[in-house]
Amino acid sequence: MKHITKVYGSLYASDDVHLTLDKGEILAVVGENGAGKSTLMKILYGLEQPTSGEIYLNGELQHFRSPHDAIAKKIGMVQQHFMLLEPCTVAENIVYGQEPRKNGFFFDRNAAIRITEELCDKYGLHIDPRRLVKDCPVGLQQRVEILKVLYQDADIIIFDEPSAVLTPQEVNELLLTMRKLAEMGKSIIIITHKLHEVMAVADRVMVMRLGKYIQEMPKSETSIEEMSFLMVGRHIVEREVPPQETTGTVLDVRDLVLAGPDEKNILDHFSIHVDAGEIVGIAGVSGNGQSELIQCLTGLLPPTSGEVVLKGENMAGRSVGDIRNAGCACIPEDRYLWGCAKQATLTETSIMAHQYKPELSRHGLLNSKGAKAFTQKLLDDYDVRNSGQSQKAGELSGGNIQKLIVAREMEQNSPLLIAAEPTRGVDIGAIEFIHNKLLEKREKGDAVLLISSELTEIMSLSDRIYVIYEGRAAGEFRKADATEEALGILMMGGALHEN
Amino acid sequence: MKTKETQDAVWKAVILRGRQALRQPLVATIFGLLVGAAVILACGQNPIEVYKEMFEKSFFKPYYLFSTLTRATPIIICAMATGMSWRAGYINLGVEGQMVTGTLVATVTALFLPGPPVLVAIIAWLAGMAAGALYALLPSVLAWKFNVSMVITTLMLNYVANYITSYFVTYPLKDTSGDGLALQTPEIAAGMRLPRLSSTSTFNAGFIVAILVVVFMVFITRRTVFGYESKMGGFNPSFARYGGTKQVKVMLITMALTGAIASMAGSAEVFGLKYRYADSMLSSTSYAWTGLQAALIAGLDPVGMFFVSIFLSGLQIGGSAIQRSLGIPLEIATIIQCCITLFVSVKVVIRFVKKPKAVKEGGKQA
Repeated sequence: MKHITKVYGSLYASDDVHLTLDKGEILAVVGENGAGKSTLMKILYGLEQPTSGEIYLNGELQHFRSPHDAIAKKIGMVQQHFMLLEPCTVAENIVYGQEPRKNGFFFDRNAAIRITEELCDKYGLHIDPRRLVKDCPVGLQQRVEILKVLYQDADIIIFDEPSAVLTPQEVNELLLTMRKLAEMGKSIIIITHKLHEVMAVADRVMVMRLGKYIQEMPKSETSIEEMSFLMVGRHIVEREVPPQETTGTVLDVRDLVLAGPDEKNILDHFSIHVDAGEIVGIAGVSGNGQSELIQCLTGLLPPTSGEVVLKGENMAGRSVGDIRNAGCACIPEDRYLWGCAKQATLTETSIMAHQYKPELSRHGLLNSKGAKAFTQKLLDDYDVRNSGQSQKAGELSGGNIQKLIVAREMEQNSPLLIAAEPTRGVDIGAIEFIHNKLLEKREKGDAVLLISSELTEIMSLSDRIYVIYEGRAAGEFRKADATEEALGILMMGGALHEN
Repeated sequence: MKTKETQDAVWKAVILRGRQALRQPLVATIFGLLVGAAVILACGQNPIEVYKEMFEKSFFKPYYLFSTLTRATPIIICAMATGMSWRAGYINLGVEGQMVTGTLVATVTALFLPGPPVLVAIIAWLAGMAAGALYALLPSVLAWKFNVSMVITTLMLNYVANYITSYFVTYPLKDTSGDGLALQTPEIAAGMRLPRLSSTSTFNAGFIVAILVVVFMVFITRRTVFGYESKMGGFNPSFARYGGTKQVKVMLITMALTGAIASMAGSAEVFGLKYRYADSMLSSTSYAWTGLQAALIAGLDPVGMFFVSIFLSGLQIGGSAIQRSLGIPLEIATIIQCCITLFVSVKVVIRFVKKPKAVKEGGKQA
C-alpha cells in the first residue's frame, strides 16, 4: 500500500501511509484509537475507498470496490465483531457464500461437513462441524471466523483486535494458531493495542499515530516500552494505588435474583456491597450474568426478587430516571447500544441524563448556549478528538466516543459509578486516562463498581474483587489476596482448595 | 468585530447544512422531472413547453400561486404531524384517520354549539385537536400495553375513521336543505370562517395557521427538552432509556401532539375553504399521504417539509392546469411526485455509484 490517504471531512484518518507485507510474515499494526489502523485495514479489505493512494498485490495495481474484490484477490479479514449466523452449524457458517451444491442447485450439507473437517485437519484447528455456533464459546466462534477466511483461500489474513473478547487461555491458543498459519505461508496483519501479544507473535511492528505512519521495526529490535512511547508520544508510568479507608456502604445488593426463560436463574441470589471510597471489581468471563446485573442495578430490567439498596433506599424495580436521581451513573458496556446514538451530534450525546440540570434547561426549554458550553468542557477536559460539536457520534473513533461517554457519566458527580468494560477496545493512552479518572473518583470518596472481562484491569484498580460465575458471586478477594490463577479458576467455574 | 465574525460563521454553517440537506431532494427532483419528460414525450408533446406551462400555472402566475398555497395548507400541516411522530421513531401511518376524526368533531362543535361565532370557532378547533389527539393515543396505548405494531394499528384505524365519519355525514349530519343528494354537513356560520387573504381566489388564513404550526414544530424540535428526548428516542431507543428519559410519557405526548396537529389540517380546510364537512373530502385528496411524501423527501426537517409540501401541491395544481389546456393527463404530476419520492429513497444507490469514481480520480492524482 502506497501513499494511502483517507479524508473524512477535514480529518485525515490516514495520511500518506505506506505498508508492506511479505509472504509468511506476521505484521503487527499498533497505535492509539483514532490512529487510523482500522481505516487502513478497511481500505485494504475494500470496505472503504481511499481518497488517494494505491494498493499493489504481487506487483499489480488493485482497485477494491468492495470486500468481494478483496476476497477474490485472497485477502481475508477476521472481524472484531463476529459476523456469524448463530442458529446455524459451524459447517454452514464456514461455507456460507460459496456453498457446495448437489446437482448444481441444492445445498450439500454433507459436503459442507466434509470440507470443514478437511480444513480443520489441514490447519490443525479442531472444532465439531455439526455444532451450532450459538452453543460455541467465544474462542471457538473466532475459530469459525478464521476457518471461514481459510475456506475462502485467503493468503493475507487481517485480524482486527482479535483478543479483545477472549480469556487468557484462549488468547494463547489464538497466538499459537497465528504462528502456525504464518509457518504455512499465510501472511498475517494483526491490529492490536496489547503489546505483549505483539512481542509474543509478530515478526515486524508498524506504529501509527494520528493517521500518520510513525515507525516500523523488526520485533527483535524493539521493546514494549519503546512501542508504547511511539504510540502515545510520551512515557506511560506504572501506577501505584495507595490504600484508602472506606466510609459507609453506598450500594448493597442483597439476594438479587433474575429468572431466565428456563428454570435456571440468570442472576442467582447475587449479593455484593460497594463502599464509599473504594473500587469493587467484578471479574468473570462475559456472558455469566454481568450484562443483566448492570441492567438490574440501573433500572433497565426489573429483577425478579432481591434488593438493590442505594444509599439506604431500596431501588429494585424503580425506573432508570429514579435510580439516576438517587445517585447512580453508569458507563455502559456497549457504547453503541446504550451509550449513544450514532446519528446524534456530540452536543446531543453529551447532555443525555444532564438535560434537566438548571444550566442546560429551564421549564422544559433547552438552553443551547449552556449545552454547547457543557459539551465543550467535556470535549476539552477529556481530550475527545472531534471536528466540531455538530459532528455525529458515529463518526468518532471507538476510543474517542468512549472518552466522551466516560466524561458524561463522571460529570454526574454521583456517589456511585458503575463502570462496565470502561476500556473495551480502547488504546493505551485512553486506558491510562480512563483508569486515572476512575481512581480520582475513588479518591473523592465515591464508590465505583467496575465490571470487566479484562482481568489485568480489575486487578490493578480494584480494592476488592468478586468473581461472577453463572449469575452467582463465586468468590470475594481483597486486593492483596487476589492472584490471576485463583480468579481464573473461579471464573471457569472451578473451586478453590483451602490450604 | 468579534460578534460579526461569529455571526458570519453561524451563517456559513447554516448555509452549508442547508446545502447538504437540499442536495439529495434537488437531485431527486431533477430525476423525477426527467422521467416525467419521458412520459410527456411518449404522449407526443414537447416536455419543455409542457413544463413551462405547468410551472407558470402553479408558481409564477399569482392566481395559480394562490391555488398552490391553498392546496398546500393541509399538506403542510399533515407533513408536520407525520414529522412529529416519525422523528421520535413512531411509524405513524394514521395521520389521515386522526385528521378526519378531529375535523368531524370540530365541524360538529361549530354547527351545534351556541355562542358568539369567534369563541365557538376557537372551541371547535380545540375540540377537534383533542379528538385527533385521543384518536392518535389509541394506537399508542395499544403499543404500550399490548405491544401491538403501531404501523398496522395506525394504518387500519384510518379505515375505521373514514367509515365512521361517512356514516355521520350520510345519516345524522346530512344537509337536507338543498336537493339533499350530496353527502355533506350544512355550512358553518359565516362568523366562524377564516378570512380570505386574496380577493380573487380562495387563498385564506389557513395558510397562516400552517406557518404557525411550522414555527411551533421548529420550536419543539430545536428548543425543548421534550424535542431532544423524542429525537434521541427516535435515533436509538436504548440510549434514551439508558439516559433515564420517561419513554412512555414521551411517546404519549408525541402521539397526542401528532393527532392534534393532524386535526388542524382538516379544520383549516373546513373553516378556511369548504365551510362544511363533505364525505371523503380529506381522504380522496390524499392530503395525508402527500404530506407523508413531503416529510420523507425533506428528511423530516420542519422547514424542508414546508417547502417540499408547497412544491408537491404546485405539481398537482400545475398538473391539472396542463390537463385542461394541453390535454396531458393529470397523472403526469402524480408520476413526477412519486418518482421524486422514489429517487429520494434510493440515496444508497447513488452513493454506491459515486464511490468507485472517487477511487479512479484518486488513482490518477497519485
